[in-house]
Amino acid sequence: MPGNQPNIATKATEANTYDAIVIGSGISGGWAAKELTEKGLKTIMLERGRNFEHIKDYKTAQWDPWDFPHRGRTTEAQRKAYPVIHRGWAANEAVMDYWANEQDCPYTEIKPFTWWRSYQLGGRSILWGRQSYRWSDFDFEANAKDGIAIDWPVRYKEIAPWYDYVEKFAGISGSLEGLPQLPDGQYLPPIPLNCVEKEVAARLKKQYNNQRHLFIGRVANITKPIQSRTNCQFRNRCWEGCPFGGYFSTQSSTLPAAIATDKLTVRPFSIVTRIIYDKNTQKATGVEVLDAETNQSYTYYAKIVFLNASALNSAWVLMNSATDIWPDGLGSSSGELGHNIMDHHYNCGASGIMPGFEDVYYDGGRRPTGFYIPRFANLFNDKRNYLRGFGYQGGASREGWSREVAELNIGANFKEALTQPGTWTIGATAFGEILPYHENKITLDPNKKDKWGLPVLAMDAEIKDNEKAMRKDMVNEMAQMLTAVGATQVTTWDNGHAMGHGIHEMGTARMGTDPKTSVLNKYNQVWDAKNVFVTDGSFMVSAACVNPSLTYMAFTARAVNHAVDELKKNNI
Amino acid sequence: MDRRELLKMVALATGGVMIGGEFLLSGCKNEKSGAVAFKPDDIAFLDEVGETIIPTTSSPGAKAAGIGNFMKVMVTDCYTEPDQKVFMEGIRQLNEFCKKKNGIGFMQATPQQRTALLEKIDAEAKAYQKEKNEKEAKLKEEAAKERNKTIALSPNHYFTMMKQLTLFGYFTSKPGATQALRYVAVPGHYDGCMPYKKGDKAWAT
Repeated sequence: MPGNQPNIATKATEANTYDAIVIGSGISGGWAAKELTEKGLKTIMLERGRNFEHIKDYKTAQWDPWDFPHRGRTTEAQRKAYPVIHRGWAANEAVMDYWANEQDCPYTEIKPFTWWRSYQLGGRSILWGRQSYRWSDFDFEANAKDGIAIDWPVRYKEIAPWYDYVEKFAGISGSLEGLPQLPDGQYLPPIPLNCVEKEVAARLKKQYNNQRHLFIGRVANITKPIQSRTNCQFRNRCWEGCPFGGYFSTQSSTLPAAIATDKLTVRPFSIVTRIIYDKNTQKATGVEVLDAETNQSYTYYAKIVFLNASALNSAWVLMNSATDIWPDGLGSSSGELGHNIMDHHYNCGASGIMPGFEDVYYDGGRRPTGFYIPRFANLFNDKRNYLRGFGYQGGASREGWSREVAELNIGANFKEALTQPGTWTIGATAFGEILPYHENKITLDPNKKDKWGLPVLAMDAEIKDNEKAMRKDMVNEMAQMLTAVGATQVTTWDNGHAMGHGIHEMGTARMGTDPKTSVLNKYNQVWDAKNVFVTDGSFMVSAACVNPSLTYMAFTARAVNHAVDELKKNNI
Repeated sequence: MDRRELLKMVALATGGVMIGGEFLLSGCKNEKSGAVAFKPDDIAFLDEVGETIIPTTSSPGAKAAGIGNFMKVMVTDCYTEPDQKVFMEGIRQLNEFCKKKNGIGFMQATPQQRTALLEKIDAEAKAYQKEKNEKEAKLKEEAAKERNKTIALSPNHYFTMMKQLTLFGYFTSKPGATQALRYVAVPGHYDGCMPYKKGDKAWAT
């Protein structure tokens, strides 16, 4: 199986030479490795954390709830060790050791920044939320129309075939809706809405003149077997790792494909400290690696380098590279490297009670997704007092044992009441677009070092007036929609948003048409070193309001295709 | 993000869900540990408190789910030191209150006496937590205006802890999840429109 005994580097240069190096093994790194190896390139994938094997290392995945000593809650000791993860919902007994060690890997918060990292093979592809949406031209054209930042160098038409390509392999389930703002894709059969959600969808269409839509979240959980993967078993425990391969992860999908080519070497515990740049050829010749276990340094050589270390860490690698030529690092000649950080802001929305429906319930299945309400703000004839828009993710369900029961507090009747489902509730949280602000940036902190003596990142980013105005609308619109479809006791919440909390960091090495204003060209190539490709969230020029991973997959596959073409033409 | 967790957040925001949900948001808390030393008598005592809250009916009660030991694990590993102290002191207070009311300790009291006692303490705890939550919500609102300002939280009521741990521990235990509720480890399918008739059990997860 993947990386079981990875080829450990020897001192001989020849043995350390590959056709391609992939830095990082998460969603985009996995895709890069699959595409490169399938095109015949001998490839090494470098992962800074431990090896993490499919199925075997999903140690809690077959546990029942009562097998967890704290039933999912984390301990005081974990809370101390992982203060950042405990800022939100991600602290859970099942997955605590999937998160990066916060003591070994600190960072500096000039402004509050919640950075959720997973340093192990597969990265956050194991833990991700799996929501998978296409961008539309409303998104690709947004910067140009609004005069914000720079224009995207591509349009939907150019990316659409790559969305097709990655969706078919990754396996995305969803329904066809025919909406111009959220293009349909190549979907496996959709997971059903429940009774209440179906009725709410119908009422919403009616109340809003067919301008508001609610359908099942498009999700990278397969509803039919594909490749050697079993379809989703509706356990909704994806993030522990799925023993059925029911959702897309590096381990379930791209890694087996890459391994099957016999062209892949996986090297865990490999912290890439810099990309080695040759100023004569103006290309990278390889990378320098610090072994996280032994502290030994190694050098690997290749014709192509794919940088997929996640938006912030990829920028970090670039900032530490070629500093003899550019003091601020490889790709910094535009002055945009590390700038324009975006995320999606959320943690606000509304919920309420749906009266009635007492004679319906769901079977024992636990869906790995909820409903989705796509963007409507600032589209078509809609105009708001801010730019861009937001979507909602939510669900309807019957209350369980954790509810209050009127008049009953203790004893047999109380217990019996709690063993039956309660009323239906419905709620959703909004995910809003954050604009790219040049001043939202990361830099190297000159004063702080990590466990290996490497400089750490300093985060200096925040949401601004546009996002704050949008948040008010995100809350109000949901409350209005719930009221319109008949919900009662509607309540709203807004817990604020620190950058990074959306786990959708992007924009630190944006693409563009002009090397003076962008770090990458339209094929994700670093302008200053054309055999270096950055295809994780770093390349994003704007954020849209939909979950971004599918877009990284599409751009990665496209970039590899371009890279190999260019290599054949001796252009890189 | 994990959808299930998101939905819990949604439910939380209604204010209607506290047990378990409160753990979810605050996690298990920080500060120093080690203020607790549960004796076998304490476990037996907590088993009876739990059994009074969730008694044996057509399905096993909290005692059969090992609730006393579960409380020990959670309080020891997941509670802050101030909460640990309140909890341990609560065992003593509950027993003293029983003696005052009934002339005998909780372990000697009849099931009827225990139920009546805990009903009373539960009402007191609810009123106490309600006032505490309202007060702290106001303080938080004010603190939110000043960055980095933290607020001092008043202690939780010991019975709120005992009841929360009983419900959480019981309904996530094997007897609670599989006999009081319904549990399927590998459902394999999802149907969101099943007929339901009153009395049908809720799903454990």
